[in-house]
Amino acid sequence: MNGLTLYPWQQTTWDALLAGTARMPHALLLTGEAGIGKRRFAERLAAWFLCEAPGKTSEPCGVCESCRWFAAGNHPDYRVLAPGDDADEEEEGTKAKRRFPTIGVDDVRELNDFVNLTSHRGGARVTVVYPAESLNLAAANALLKTLEEPPAGAQFILVAHHWRRLLPTIRSRCRIFPLPMPEHRAAAAWLAQHGVVDPELHLHHSGGAPLAALEDAGADWLGTRRALLEHLANPGALDVLAVAGELEKSKLDAALVIAWLQKWVYDLVSMGLAGVVRYYPDCKDDLTRLSVRAPQLLKYAERLLEAQRLAHHPLNLRLVYETLLNDYVAAFRKGR
Amino acid sequence: MAYQVLARKWRPLNFAQLVGQEHVIKALANAFANGRLHHAYLLTGTRGVGKTTIARIMAKALNCETGVTAEPCGVCSACTQIDAGRFVDLLEIDAASNTGIDNIREVLDNAQYAPTVGRFKVYIIDEVHMLSKSAFNAMLKTLEEPPGHVKFILATTDPQKMPITVLSRCLQFSLRQMTPQQVAGHLQKVLDAEQIPFEAGALPVLGHAANGSMRDALSLLDQAIAYGAGQVEESGVRAMLGAVDQSYLFEILAALVAKDGQALMKAAAGIAERGLSYEAALHELAHLLHQVAVAQAVPGALADDLPQRPQIVAVAQALAPEDSQLYYQIALHGRRDLPLAPDEYAGFTMTLLRMLAFAPATPGQIRLAPAGEPATMAPQAPPVPPVAQPAPAMPASSSVAPAPVASPVIAPVAPAPVKAEPAQAMPKEPAPWEEAASDATPPKAAIEPPPPEVEPEPVWSEPAPEPAERLYVPPGPAAMPEEEPEPALPAAPPEFDGDWRALVVQLKLGAAGMLAQHAELVEFQSDRFIFRVAEAHKAVATRDYQEKLRGALTDHFGRPIQVEVALGEATGDTPAAIALREKHARQQAAEATIQNDPFVQALVRDLGATVVPDSIRPL
Repeated sequence: MNGLTLYPWQQTTWDALLAGTARMPHALLLTGEAGIGKRRFAERLAAWFLCEAPGKTSEPCGVCESCRWFAAGNHPDYRVLAPGDDADEEEEGTKAKRRFPTIGVDDVRELNDFVNLTSHRGGARVTVVYPAESLNLAAANALLKTLEEPPAGAQFILVAHHWRRLLPTIRSRCRIFPLPMPEHRAAAAWLAQHGVVDPELHLHHSGGAPLAALEDAGADWLGTRRALLEHLANPGALDVLAVAGELEKSKLDAALVIAWLQKWVYDLVSMGLAGVVRYYPDCKDDLTRLSVRAPQLLKYAERLLEAQRLAHHPLNLRLVYETLLNDYVAAFRKGR
Repeated sequence: MAYQVLARKWRPLNFAQLVGQEHVIKALANAFANGRLHHAYLLTGTRGVGKTTIARIMAKALNCETGVTAEPCGVCSACTQIDAGRFVDLLEIDAASNTGIDNIREVLDNAQYAPTVGRFKVYIIDEVHMLSKSAFNAMLKTLEEPPGHVKFILATTDPQKMPITVLSRCLQFSLRQMTPQQVAGHLQKVLDAEQIPFEAGALPVLGHAANGSMRDALSLLDQAIAYGAGQVEESGVRAMLGAVDQSYLFEILAALVAKDGQALMKAAAGIAERGLSYEAALHELAHLLHQVAVAQAVPGALADDLPQRPQIVAVAQALAPEDSQLYYQIALHGRRDLPLAPDEYAGFTMTLLRMLAFAPATPGQIRLAPAGEPATMAPQAPPVPPVAQPAPAMPASSSVAPAPVASPVIAPVAPAPVKAEPAQAMPKEPAPWEEAASDATPPKAAIEPPPPEVEPEPVWSEPAPEPAERLYVPPGPAAMPEEEPEPALPAAPPEFDGDWRALVVQLKLGAAGMLAQHAELVEFQSDRFIFRVAEAHKAVATRDYQEKLRGALTDHFGRPIQVEVALGEATGDTPAAIALREKHARQQAAEATIQNDPFVQALVRDLGATVVPDSIRPL
């Protein structure tokens, strides 16, 4: 883990934020689409807060003791609050439990000790919450008082992909700092540098976010998605039960699968009504063929929103997928 | 990090500094001045309106060394210690972190001891809605009759989550949201005190964006100061908030009016390139549509000095009123669903596409509905409910009856071209039908199968070859037969067209009606009717009834008519059988409507309701 370098498209944003160091708030909320490097940005910011170089500039120096500790990943005054890291590792051996990516209230309570005690190195104490929307309701509420008036030196950096899903009470306690979507060309160039064969295509798949595109290019679920999209392209011959079974077996995050469906339906509707494909240009032929039925899918798109809302509820995934696919097929059948 | 955010730095220290909430402060101040102290207060309100602040000021007012007062001095040791957050007799409890019963018990166990230095022991329990149920219950007795030296102040954003037993023990004050003016005024004071240069125009913008919360406003102000590198400029604030230039919105509306999907996406891309906020865009769009709707409904109500007035009026003329209502609704829903979309751009454009897809057909399109077509296409028409999905949003269906009738009849016309899908027909439907109702003949011609007769008759009654068609006949027509045949009766001489069932309705038969109901008309000439009655019903085919039927027919046509009745294996075309089938079809349609109704679905899904199928009756 190296939090000390930025992605090339983030430099101007960094400069903009660090221009106002004198007015740095105790709680920052970094927002932006998933996969544009928010986490790296937050880590570097944390390193900067912790940096002990005497003439501190707007960059973490990278040579002081604190920066080296940070780079080694064990700075005592730095905490990351992320969904289920430690608790799950114990359980994993016993039973392949489905993991719900939420931050529980216990993690937040533990954090209170960290925040309220003085720091190890006498400097700042930095907490990064990533992603902030994964705080569950109790955890978010438990954070409120600390977040509003932390003791001197405590610093919070919240990172949110969907800041609208945060509690308004959390949002109102933070200064929001939006990170922009990188320019298409810069992102494509960066991807090409990292050995991605078809950067344009993967950027499309991820809606323009370069890190998500990088994951898209190398993820092990690529085959699953490929298969799913092929099935979707043939609603007439879609074997709902088998496909749902496959999806469930793949043990993917439901939110991810639903997002694929959403993107597919979005493309269909967009193709049918406006002639534009956003996410899956590689499936354009199939999309064009199916897009005649685009208007019937609007209702289904709403259905998917509902499903996305419940993606992290403990529902039986197989049934969820079956329902969604059945509805998909039904949406096509309706008009015939 | 010596810097303190403005929201903390400018937390009011006495009642006089508070902005807004006069109704609460007045009550509290008078109570303190007269010594009428309640032992438990509950402060409610949204984020950043001053709950915690008021709670702390109350703690000072209760413990100030000058005595219980509405104006704590702010200089005595109690006041300064409370301000610094280290007064021993002020216990500020974060109920969201200490939710359990044990935490509360610990607190309450200490309540009985007298305060150490102050006059009262003040418990501020913040975010109290997060307490567990048992924790609330553990509090009840103490909360009802605490020792004289204990005061409780509870604060929450969410009083609905509290048990009523707790609510009833507290004196509740609900704090109001700040008006944008109040917020702007306070921001100005803060900026003056901070000696930060600002443009006066920026403050109302921030005031609106804060949405009623002072803390939001101050957080935004912090952000704006950083954004503007030490000063607050209107343009900077607008850019920071991603406020959307109205010209983009008019572009979008123009594309919607023109039904031009590509132009629509281009306008959306324009917003994306400028890095504007999609939520703000949808918000503004809804606002604009509201103004358009106002301009349509009450043309005079639009302020004359509105800068975009001419544009709004232009849109108001180009857009049908029901469209603007529909678009408004869709914009609101789109905003709600934004967090669930794959990304915000998709959420935003999907909303626009939805508007495009539900764009109603122009009246011209519908009137073109070719006469012969519906008959052949009808079986394909989807049962009503799926199309009717946005119905609750639509004020269009002015009268209840016409809507369901019209939709399946009109709908089949639409699917042919890509742009005109079934949904398109929705909002406009009532129009053609209402028109149709006024002059009786044309709609009949449109609906009847190819060999039409001029005489009006209910849609479903013809012995049409396709049973499927009857199956899809919607519930609506049931209401029609009473009204429809009547205008025809006096005018047209009773000339029989082979529609036995319609005839039966008109005959005065009495008990012989049973025969008529179960008889299938096999053949008829001007003076001779041949019926067939199923074996199962031969009981009704008595000579007596046949005689009565003959008499009734003779009366009806005004000439002698012979009736022959043969027993046989009746097919399904007796009036009774047809009626049974229709009833069945209507029942099915009604059940489908219920099953597809979004509200019912929501009930089933969210509340675990079940639909008892037998209880559904068609209207």
